[in-house]
Amino acid sequence: MTLVLSRSMVRLSAACAFSIALAGATPAFADENELVIALSTFSEETMTPWAGSGQRKTYLDLVYEYLTYIDPQTKETIPGLAESWEMSEDGKQWTFTLREGVTFSGDHGEMTSEDVAYSITRIIGEDSRAGPASPMRRLIASVETPDPRTVVVNLNFPDFELAQGYFGASQQLGIVSKDYVESVGDEAAQADPVGTGPYVLDSQVKSSEIVFKTRDDVDGHWRAKPEFETVRFKVVPEESTRVAMLQTGEADIAPIGFDSIPAVREAGLDIVSAEATWSPVVRFGGLIQTAENRYNADNPWAKREVRQALNYAVDKQTIIDELFQGEATVASSDTPVSAWSGVEPYPYDPEKAKALLAEAGYPNGFDITIRTFTTAPGAELPLMAEAVSLYWQNIGVNATIEPVDWPALRSEWTEGRANGYVWTHRGFPFASAANGMEAGYMEKSVFASFTSEELEQMIQTFSTEQDAAKRQAEFTRIGQYLRDEAAAVFIALANEPYGVSDKVGSWDITTAYVWNFDQVGKAQ
Amino acid sequence: MLKTIAIRLVEAFFALLLMSVVIFLLTRLTGDPVALLLGDGATEADKIALTRQLGLDQPLPVQYLRFLADVTSGDFGRSLAAGNEPALGLVLSRLPASLSLAGVALAFTLAIGIVFGVFAAISRGSAVDVIARLVALVGQSVPSFWLGIVLMYVFAVKLRWLPTSGYGGWQHYVLPALTLGLFTLAAITRLVRSSMLEALGSEYIKLARIKGLPETVVVWKHALANSLIPVITFMGTFFAVMITGAVIVETVFAWPGIGRLAYESILSRDFPVVQAVVLVTTALFIFANLLVDVLYIIVDPRMRSRG
Repeated sequence: MTLVLSRSMVRLSAACAFSIALAGATPAFADENELVIALSTFSEETMTPWAGSGQRKTYLDLVYEYLTYIDPQTKETIPGLAESWEMSEDGKQWTFTLREGVTFSGDHGEMTSEDVAYSITRIIGEDSRAGPASPMRRLIASVETPDPRTVVVNLNFPDFELAQGYFGASQQLGIVSKDYVESVGDEAAQADPVGTGPYVLDSQVKSSEIVFKTRDDVDGHWRAKPEFETVRFKVVPEESTRVAMLQTGEADIAPIGFDSIPAVREAGLDIVSAEATWSPVVRFGGLIQTAENRYNADNPWAKREVRQALNYAVDKQTIIDELFQGEATVASSDTPVSAWSGVEPYPYDPEKAKALLAEAGYPNGFDITIRTFTTAPGAELPLMAEAVSLYWQNIGVNATIEPVDWPALRSEWTEGRANGYVWTHRGFPFASAANGMEAGYMEKSVFASFTSEELEQMIQTFSTEQDAAKRQAEFTRIGQYLRDEAAAVFIALANEPYGVSDKVGSWDITTAYVWNFDQVGKAQ
Repeated sequence: MLKTIAIRLVEAFFALLLMSVVIFLLTRLTGDPVALLLGDGATEADKIALTRQLGLDQPLPVQYLRFLADVTSGDFGRSLAAGNEPALGLVLSRLPASLSLAGVALAFTLAIGIVFGVFAAISRGSAVDVIARLVALVGQSVPSFWLGIVLMYVFAVKLRWLPTSGYGGWQHYVLPALTLGLFTLAAITRLVRSSMLEALGSEYIKLARIKGLPETVVVWKHALANSLIPVITFMGTFFAVMITGAVIVETVFAWPGIGRLAYESILSRDFPVVQAVVLVTTALFIFANLLVDVLYIIVDPRMRSRG
């Protein structure tokens, strides 16, 4: 028996030593001309602009380009594939003049107005799965192409922000080659996407990685001067794995949670944050005052004073410091809009909160249910719910926290069944203020969480006002109204942090929807 | 043997039918994908149109019968979330990654588990026995997501021996296979240990020793051969554990298999893909058990004579 044991032990030891020796052959990590980006999702992983959500823009923006862009520094709208544009006085007709000499990758020729018109038609098509397909379909009446460099877009109703809104780089109207898509069909266009961007698809392993390389004629590209020959996107759903990849050098850029910021910094890596890209809030159910099936007058929070009290009761700065590692600012709205920067957030004032509750007829508080879930970004939402419930307890409001999953809650919300509870949620920036108003605060949107007759009227006035200064003033008034009505418990305007390796030099991430991965610079 | 296989195939048909009903109803109990697919600013009219477009406006029995009719012709529907791809094609494209991982993990657990089990049995109370029992205890009590992250931290982040995650060369298999296999390793170790102890105390082993056969031959040939029968019996179950356990392991290690596909499809309420994953996994499980039955008949002469 001893003999058996010792021989086997020798074999086992040899095997271990062999394994360790092989393991010493560390896998080859990315080379200096390759940028590796670990993302939490590839979403639909389709390659045409209309075949899925805006989440795919992380990688599609390397191939497709937009009529307008946002200056990363000034945040102003700047020319893109359209070198200029004009709006009619009534805001119902837009004329875009296209940049000359912009070519598609491969041998697919110069971009013309026909390509732009075709791209618009596809994004608003019945089979389009693009996020803004529905409102764009309602908005756009027709598209004309009087000459190869001019596109005229006729609208059903005014949109004073079309260029920076639905047609801008933060939305999904990437320009495709009409001839190419029509000649090869959608399936082939998915397999080998052709755009005017600086990169082309090199390879794709479904649900694992997508690799782009610079196009052959990238030198002299009209917009970007890529410093990395290859950009490799990897899908890594687990955040701790993404952090580990940053630490080992397997990834150069990866979105991370706030909790991971200290660990990433300790590893000598940088944090680059997309500023104020999402907004953690607590939304109230049953507040669509203009729709009977989505309004519940019996909720204590149907009274404005109660909603205000629930805002005053929460120490938002402490939540920001503790949960968001200081990477946020106290919010007065659920959308980062410069016009609302003058709207004062609710200060932390529990005494005032108690007084308001008493005034509303709830001196002893009431019971409330908070539903919560995690999303990306938004892993902190359940902890935020815990914090909010503790602050509310201080003013006598007893909260029961119910963890749910987002799809289930979203179903209830869109079906008008989320009327008896409140829930943690996140707001996002909208490229166009009108789009944001329409989606969040008008009865016709299934994702509206608050509205009133007064607010609907204000938004209507704002949407149809032709004078830019008056429109801006009306918009500011709407922001103040939403704050005063306490349409939600506005917590913070939070950043979206990315861990960045020392291989990366400059990188200007513009917003949550414009990543500029094609313009990441190498470290010196 | 043929009769056994025929009976198993009929049972498999009914098991799959039953599973199709269960999974069809369960997926629909948790909400629908329409709310997730609707973009910002969508209206009630958009919602109704999309519901109709996806065929979700029909009564459940009608939806089920349509689904069943399509499935019998090999059409599991198209993914609602992954670019309208055929659901079955999507599952089958992910299957090789899962099967290869499960295969490596199973091979590793069998090799180590049998060695551990044998050593634990032949040297009861020794250090090897204690280590084997410790591995069994840890393997069955440590959650795989935690184990995966710890292994990643030690071997990838600290020692830099292996990649953290991903799919590709042999290095990518080590950590996920270890994580996936440890639970089963514990089970195999315990199983082999107990059946070896029983075999080593049996009359035929005593006879073998009296005949003067070397101890190596007694242990590794005669005793082990008989001790493996219960392991073979449980192989189907072990395989199922590997496939179902892969949901977490594949997510942690970014492995593009059907476990992660199932996880992502459930989150996006992608009914056709969830249904296809469950039915394909069930079919695999049934096939694995059928294979085990056949193996069992081949290995055990008593079963052969009964067959």
